Amino acid sequence: MTAVLSASGITKNYTIGKRQIPVLRGVDLSIAAGEKVALLGSSGAGKSTLLHLLGLLDTPTDGTIRYDGREVQSLPVAERARLRHQQVGFVFQFYHLIPELTALQNVLLARMMGSSVIGYFGQRKAARQGAIAILEQVGLADRLHHRPSELSGGERQRVAIARALLAEPKVVLADEPTGNLDSHTAKEVVDLMFRIQQERDLAFLLVTHDEGLARRCDRIVRMRDGRVTSQADQPSDQATNA
Amino acid sequence: MIRAFSPFLALRYLATRRINILGVLGVAFAVWAMLVVDGVFTGFVRDIHQNVENSAPPLLLTDLPHDQDFAVLRDALADKDVIALAPRLRQFAMLQPVRAGRFRLKRGSSELDFDHTKNGFAMLLGIDPLLEPEVVNIPAWLQRGTSEITRYGGPPTESVVFAEPDLERRAQLLLPDAIEWRARRAAGMAYEADVEQHSSSLPGMLLGWRRFGHLPWIKPGDPFEVVCAAFHQSGDDVTMRPYSKAVASAGWFASGNRMFDETTALLPIETVRTMLGHDYEDPDSIELVTDVAIRPREGLSADELADLQSRLQQRVQATLPAGSGPCSILTWREQNSVYLSAVAQEHMMMQLVLMIVMLVSAFVIYATLHMMVVQKIKDIGIVAAIGGSPRSIGSVFLITGTVVGLVGSLLGTLAGYLSSIWLNPVNDWLYEKFQVELFPRHLFDLQGVPCHIEPAWMVSVAIGAALLAVTVALIPARKAARMNPVTALAFE
Repeated sequence: MTAVLSASGITKNYTIGKRQIPVLRGVDLSIAAGEKVALLGSSGAGKSTLLHLLGLLDTPTDGTIRYDGREVQSLPVAERARLRHQQVGFVFQFYHLIPELTALQNVLLARMMGSSVIGYFGQRKAARQGAIAILEQVGLADRLHHRPSELSGGERQRVAIARALLAEPKVVLADEPTGNLDSHTAKEVVDLMFRIQQERDLAFLLVTHDEGLARRCDRIVRMRDGRVTSQADQPSDQATNA
Repeated sequence: MIRAFSPFLALRYLATRRINILGVLGVAFAVWAMLVVDGVFTGFVRDIHQNVENSAPPLLLTDLPHDQDFAVLRDALADKDVIALAPRLRQFAMLQPVRAGRFRLKRGSSELDFDHTKNGFAMLLGIDPLLEPEVVNIPAWLQRGTSEITRYGGPPTESVVFAEPDLERRAQLLLPDAIEWRARRAAGMAYEADVEQHSSSLPGMLLGWRRFGHLPWIKPGDPFEVVCAAFHQSGDDVTMRPYSKAVASAGWFASGNRMFDETTALLPIETVRTMLGHDYEDPDSIELVTDVAIRPREGLSADELADLQSRLQQRVQATLPAGSGPCSILTWREQNSVYLSAVAQEHMMMQLVLMIVMLVSAFVIYATLHMMVVQKIKDIGIVAAIGGSPRSIGSVFLITGTVVGLVGSLLGTLAGYLSSIWLNPVNDWLYEKFQVELFPRHLFDLQGVPCHIEPAWMVSVAIGAALLAVTVALIPARKAARMNPVTALAFE
């Protein structure tokens, strides 16, 4: 399988005063289209840092990151933002919705990122229909005009998923997406994510502490002290249905 | 290129965050204050200049030594650019209104017959009633004097002096017989049995209307006693002699210059000369003057006027006795330079204060936006995560500041314009209802609250305020743009 996203030799140091704190110490990872990868590790292992680097929110101290084989870690900040918009969808533990906007507006925001004011004006009806369609797909057809404060945790995460998927990314990076949900809602949200992942053949990197959730992925990558300690493919019958 | 989400998010923030109203109001208030306060001050300065110009001759020859003869000066001042000259004679004096039975000052008494504590001193300004109106708009002074007096409840006075067709009578600034006849009767002086037989002999005196407050009972024709002192030389002896003269009130004048209208009394120049011991029937007497009012030709440029001043000064100086100090030819601005400089200084200080008000409003915008950036750090991270570039993230806050500046600027301009229109009616209403005046116009003898807003100034202030708002918005916008998305997402 061809890797949509790959990272090799990734290191990341943070500077505190005069001290260099290594957080990632040479991580290699690649994800193919349609693959679900779980990233497991204790707190401080460097999972979220790796996720941010892979999502181009931050730059590595060393190493290379490639999208579709193209090296991207050294691109200018605006170019990385454009690439992030086109290639990556983020789902966070705390949903990260903008409180002033309704569910529909939060999702539409992702579409507005890619257009100029005039360009968006011409396609606003289509954009709106697309956002409504994806919100319907995540089961929020009747919650379009509710603000985040008027939605439950599960509903908020569904809005976040819809927002991540609207721009039709190739990669979804999810940082403990069920960490803030009860087990029943968490299962619903995971089912939803995996269903869409399969439908769209997305590369899916899931940071989690939940072994059960990790077992539903195609591959489990374990991290400790900034290093990948193991990578194991899951039996295909165990993945997804666990 | 501005991404579509930037204005969208900016407008959502504006609509949902009431604190932005504070920024809008701050800009609106600053623009309003700029327009109204400066408009009033500009109008005030303009009216003051107009009043001062009306109260002073366009050019004045002054700083002359004693005993100058107008006949000599007239020749020295003859110039192609001079169209009229009028002699003036200044002399300090005391005025004593005379009531029936008390025509003369009491011997050995310093008590003056004034109703209030104001002293009776005045600057007598002797003018030639024929020549002075050629240089200064005396009829307008009289018209305005009548208007001021009636506004403050005084009896209307007629401009009898300058309406007199008989030039000889007008030259003497005489009162009509009937008025003087009544004055004599009121003062217990000798008078004819019939007004028809009476012939005027009291010179008329025009008082600056500012004395009306102390002399509200004075009517046209009421007699005054004017007292002054002059030095006389007889051989080697120099003595000081007091002179007194009976005159009669001929009306009130208002030049618009408060000091002038408070201190000055206009008399025929011959009367003042007589009081200084000159006898105009003496063949050796001179046409005594202390100043000469000059009207130059209209349309002279500033340089031409300066040349004329210099030319006239040199010619007059040449006629003066050797060792005399330099005489001066002053424009109306130079004659009142201290007063006008003080007004200009106040205007400048006011503009400085207004600039500070504007800066405070800019600081309000800055503080509002900065607070918004701090409160929206997480949003900045979210927007970055879904593909927002630093520039487009900064644009959100820049657009917010721009909208705040534009709306505030428009509201302030509208409020300023409406205030300038309604300032006088509101001031009148407040005075009528509560005896409160926003602008005590009587302090400067202004007819109303002066407010003059130049359209160009209005546009400049509006654009300036909006630009200032955009400029201060750049700082929080830059802060937002430079924020690390990972730090922003982790912000709690």
